[in-house]
Amino acid sequence: MTDYVDAGEAVPHKTLSATRGQAPATSEVNYERIRNARSEPQNWLTYYGTYDGQRHSGLDQINKDTVKRLTPAWVFQAGMNGLHSGASTYSFEASPLVVEGVMYVSGPDGKVWAIDAVTGEELWRYKYASPYDVSLCCGNVNRGVAVGHGKVYMYTLNAHLIALDAQTGDLVWDVVNGDVRAGESGTVAPLLVKDMVVVGSSGGEFGLRGHMDAFDAQSGERRWRNYTIPKPGEPGAETWPDDGEAWQRGGANCWVTCTYDPDLELLYQGTGNPAPDFDGGVREGDNLYTDSVIAVDVNTGTIQWHYQFTPHDLWDYDSTMENLLFDAPDGRKLLAHADKNGYFFVIDRTNGELVRVFPFVDRITWGEITPDGKVTPKVYPDEEGVPVHFWPGPAGGKEWTHMCFNPSTGLIYVPVQEVGATATRRRREFKESIPYWGAGVAVDLDDFYGYVAAIDPVSGEEKWRWNNEYPMCASTLSTSGGLVFQGTPTGEFVALDADTGEKLWSFQCGSGHHSSPSTYEVNGRQYVAAPTGWGGWVEGFLPGLLGAAAGDALFVFALPES
Amino acid sequence: MTSTDRSADLAAAGLDGQNKTALGRLLGTGSIGHAEKGSDGVMRATVRIPEDELIWEPSILVFPEGGEVELTLINDDKNTHCAVLPHNGDPKIIWLVNHSKGTARLSLSGPGTYYYGSTTGNDEGRGLTGALVFGGEVPDHAKQDRPPQPRP
Repeated sequence: MTDYVDAGEAVPHKTLSATRGQAPATSEVNYERIRNARSEPQNWLTYYGTYDGQRHSGLDQINKDTVKRLTPAWVFQAGMNGLHSGASTYSFEASPLVVEGVMYVSGPDGKVWAIDAVTGEELWRYKYASPYDVSLCCGNVNRGVAVGHGKVYMYTLNAHLIALDAQTGDLVWDVVNGDVRAGESGTVAPLLVKDMVVVGSSGGEFGLRGHMDAFDAQSGERRWRNYTIPKPGEPGAETWPDDGEAWQRGGANCWVTCTYDPDLELLYQGTGNPAPDFDGGVREGDNLYTDSVIAVDVNTGTIQWHYQFTPHDLWDYDSTMENLLFDAPDGRKLLAHADKNGYFFVIDRTNGELVRVFPFVDRITWGEITPDGKVTPKVYPDEEGVPVHFWPGPAGGKEWTHMCFNPSTGLIYVPVQEVGATATRRRREFKESIPYWGAGVAVDLDDFYGYVAAIDPVSGEEKWRWNNEYPMCASTLSTSGGLVFQGTPTGEFVALDADTGEKLWSFQCGSGHHSSPSTYEVNGRQYVAAPTGWGGWVEGFLPGLLGAAAGDALFVFALPES
Repeated sequence: MTSTDRSADLAAAGLDGQNKTALGRLLGTGSIGHAEKGSDGVMRATVRIPEDELIWEPSILVFPEGGEVELTLINDDKNTHCAVLPHNGDPKIIWLVNHSKGTARLSLSGPGTYYYGSTTGNDEGRGLTGALVFGGEVPDHAKQDRPPQPRP
């Protein structure tokens, strides 16, 4: 036999593509610039567009009059290759960031791209190898990146926080921040605050002790960690059984990006469900700080105050979704939160005092919250083996996908899901990395619908609603063009009149929306970017569409140039 | 009938080769190999494609922990294949013509399992999908602050 042919050395896959490997330099993105992001609406500098979580852009080229001419400018396909984790549960769930014509966006399976925001050309790519067998409760997804200090930050599926060079996509540092053997993962979009990067834990269905962490943005050194389940002796520990181990696996994960008030220097972090989700018998008490908003001192990581939306949760009612910051006409500093439990909360963000609470969905059977905040559970899995049906289901009246606020109308636009579920308590022992629900759960396959609700957070009045046959499972986006954008589960990307709710425009993207669109402007032309893809946790929020087309494309729309 | 001899079971069922009971070779039915860690900290192993078997041999490679990997890939088959392998930063690809030999230097985190395959035609489905399994634990600073918990 002759000598072997020399096959050489394996090369990066991307070298066999048209990717450039280089993005143009942008001017420095830092804390002050993100703090004033509203003053440069041509860019989308941080996850929510601004620290307050309003998801509102001052751009108005695309408006009520022009939107009917909106058309795709380009489409970017994420694509998958080989066997990958969450083989059937991947989707494009990010919110694209844009800095001076360069888009930075993450996709499923550890992928990050820099893309020419005008042409859609891939400038560079980075793919973090995700273990095939990593525990993922809710799919192979990532909610986005942070950009600043010349870097792009992403939290990987196996809970590594990585920093990439913003021009080349090359790795700068890589820090392990979670224990995959304990069922921990990473999906949250990091938040760049001051000289730090803030992330939180994913793995709410695996009995973790939730936490949020801040890292030095330059070095990757951890500055602080805040556990969201207290140890015995710490404040809040009295809300857990004092003779058991429940706190050690209590949940309260922080898998959605927090909002931030720079004047108060407080991060507002929503926390996840307690564990086990549906079996409260092994964790008597209110179970702080699950299902809460915690106001966290950005400098120390300590909790300054908290408000718990669903004490002793028995329905998987995470409160991880955003706490949207706004100021009342009288100047009072408030936050708004539309919880999974179907109630809309307005809270004084300086001290956690409840200002107003009211239902924002039609069907609530799990219990009742009175206007003064008193919570009374009514229907819940209690007796072993006995099915219990309740509304809203575990996906909630509103899932993690975000509402938005238009300062001109004073309205908050909420994507609403009307889906119920049946849970049957099935007690089980806790074992690391094994789902720890404490129940069998089946979300309703019929009798569902959805709508966008325009809510005045000051009065609590619903001004209008745009009804849809299917629940609303994607974030809304508000613009000064008087529009609210909303993606639907059946693939339509629609523009609504912010004043009336009238549908003004629609485009069929071919796959459902479960992401957060953003908008930006380059060379005087406004664009709207909408990631699509239907896969992550569909069984949880809309199993009636489990058979719908998957997909992982990013659509970008603009008005015709001529 | 049950048996504890997995290889014999696979052979009896016709699942250990090409075009027997199934069309291709059932994934994950090849042998298990272990990488060796050198004094430089790099973990090394060799995989080869035997003639007409459409399988990486060994098809499961076990590494003690995440880190730097150097794989030697040998194609002893009389057909052309390739390998697309996981790597932090971007997957790596190597083209393997008949009777060829090459290397792949990979950086992968542990613990966890990664799959690689020959992404031409349906080589992956016929059996040319291999596993790289990394053991170990995450570093202490990444672990939960709680007493040791039960595992399955």
